[in-house]
Amino acid sequence: MKGGAAVAGPGDGGENAALPPLMRTRQALARLAFALLALGPFAASGPARADTPAPLVAVVSQKAAELSLVDIDAREVRAVIGLAAVPAGLAASADGASVYVTHPDLSLVSRVDLASGTVAATFKVGLEPFGIAVSADGRHLLVSDWSADALIRLDASTGAETGRVAIGHAPAGLVVDEKAGLAYVADRESNQVSVVRLADMVRLATVPVGRAPFALALSPGGERLYVANVQSGDLSVIDTGATPREIARPKVGLMPYGVAVTPDGRTVLVSNQQSGKLAIVDAETLALGPAQPRLGTFPEGITVVSPSRAAAVDWAEDEVVVIDIEASTILGRVKVGTSPRNLVALPRGR
Amino acid sequence: MLQRLALALGLLILGPALALAHGPTPQRADETLVIAAPPEAVWAVLSRFGGIGEWHPLVKKVEATGGDAAGAERVLTLEKGEVKEGLDELDPAAHRLSYRLLTENAEAIPVSFYTQTIEVKPDGAGSEVSWGARFYRADTTNEPPEDRNDAAAIAAMTDFIQQGLKGLQAKVTAK
Repeated sequence: MKGGAAVAGPGDGGENAALPPLMRTRQALARLAFALLALGPFAASGPARADTPAPLVAVVSQKAAELSLVDIDAREVRAVIGLAAVPAGLAASADGASVYVTHPDLSLVSRVDLASGTVAATFKVGLEPFGIAVSADGRHLLVSDWSADALIRLDASTGAETGRVAIGHAPAGLVVDEKAGLAYVADRESNQVSVVRLADMVRLATVPVGRAPFALALSPGGERLYVANVQSGDLSVIDTGATPREIARPKVGLMPYGVAVTPDGRTVLVSNQQSGKLAIVDAETLALGPAQPRLGTFPEGITVVSPSRAAAVDWAEDEVVVIDIEASTILGRVKVGTSPRNLVALPRGR
Repeated sequence: MLQRLALALGLLILGPALALAHGPTPQRADETLVIAAPPEAVWAVLSRFGGIGEWHPLVKKVEATGGDAAGAERVLTLEKGEVKEGLDELDPAAHRLSYRLLTENAEAIPVSFYTQTIEVKPDGAGSEVSWGARFYRADTTNEPPEDRNDAAAIAAMTDFIQQGLKGLQAKVTAK
């Protein structure tokens, strides 16, 4: 993964800048299509490519109703795809071909085909679909329904509901541990995390956490779950063993809305919406790092893009913020459509 | 009959939770105003959390507890009812304060939750005051009535901020 991180550099941006906007998009899509092809079955046996795919994140902008694909290294928008109104949550399929987006106000989920840069399908789902995840094989979607208080499973190709389990009030973020066959959902208004077994969609446990849990992230091995509690301003650390339980709850700042874990599992990044700051937590000591760089005015989602890079969105300033994890600094900002809420790193060749 | 009973029970159970809940789609309002007074003078007025009733024209009465530190609370009486707010951060170096709605009242102001941040920066010899809010409409279902939808929330919050800025300006520049 590390080897693949040195990429199409700033020179790329210069060459693109000379082209008219449509051409830039075409070129970006062509490059993207290439990147996606490179993920296919032949990639492993082929010779190493000089032109490894750039680290891309997909960003949903609530007001602009669009999905932006942003190159984190070049710090440029590579493509913009129009969506239905008020996109909120998103997830990428493991093959990097599709991004699924929730639209809570429309009771809708969109499937975006990245190769063609179009919305390939929309599904009516529940009442207010919010958090979303795709199974590793790409066949199932999991969606939290904010006002139905449920976790819903869908057939990813047809959107047909294939399972449903009642969980707590206002379920928000969700993460899936494929190896364990479990989903963890932050039940925001119930101040708990629901643990759901995916095989039969049965809730196995609830774990009490801080006030208003919203986003969550798993350690690389899945043995720890980190939950950002918006109202109490802390981070619930959950041991996901046989009986999942909270083992610590350090304070992290004002209104933590996003959480991400580095690939080595040693650092937890938290975006604090109300203070606008990035909190950096040592996963072993759970101590808060001294550096708290300012992400922006109302930062929300945060994701790790590579061992050295993370990215967050600033909902109020309409920016993707690129973070140097090691140095605890902000490397740059990329303007995207109005009110970006969340983002996801797109899978690429490993 | 049984169905109706189940529905009624369901509503009873949902009732208390709804009072705390807000929907998933936030809105925002941001306004700035340049005031002909140094930042320190503006901040002196703004940083007294319980003092908003002295300058905000829409605030009829204030009951404040906890002083001017994080954790302080104030109950604002507006024309159509009371809302309660909690102070989260007061940063004298940055001239910035941030607070949140603790107890909503859609009659008084048609939102279900907000956070507001006010910051004072130098602007020549004067100050630029930025007042931003992030909030959710009062009715967070997908069929809100007109007086509780996103537009109503944005209009109310924008008006509250604009009038607040003008009131702050009048208070600070009064001779």
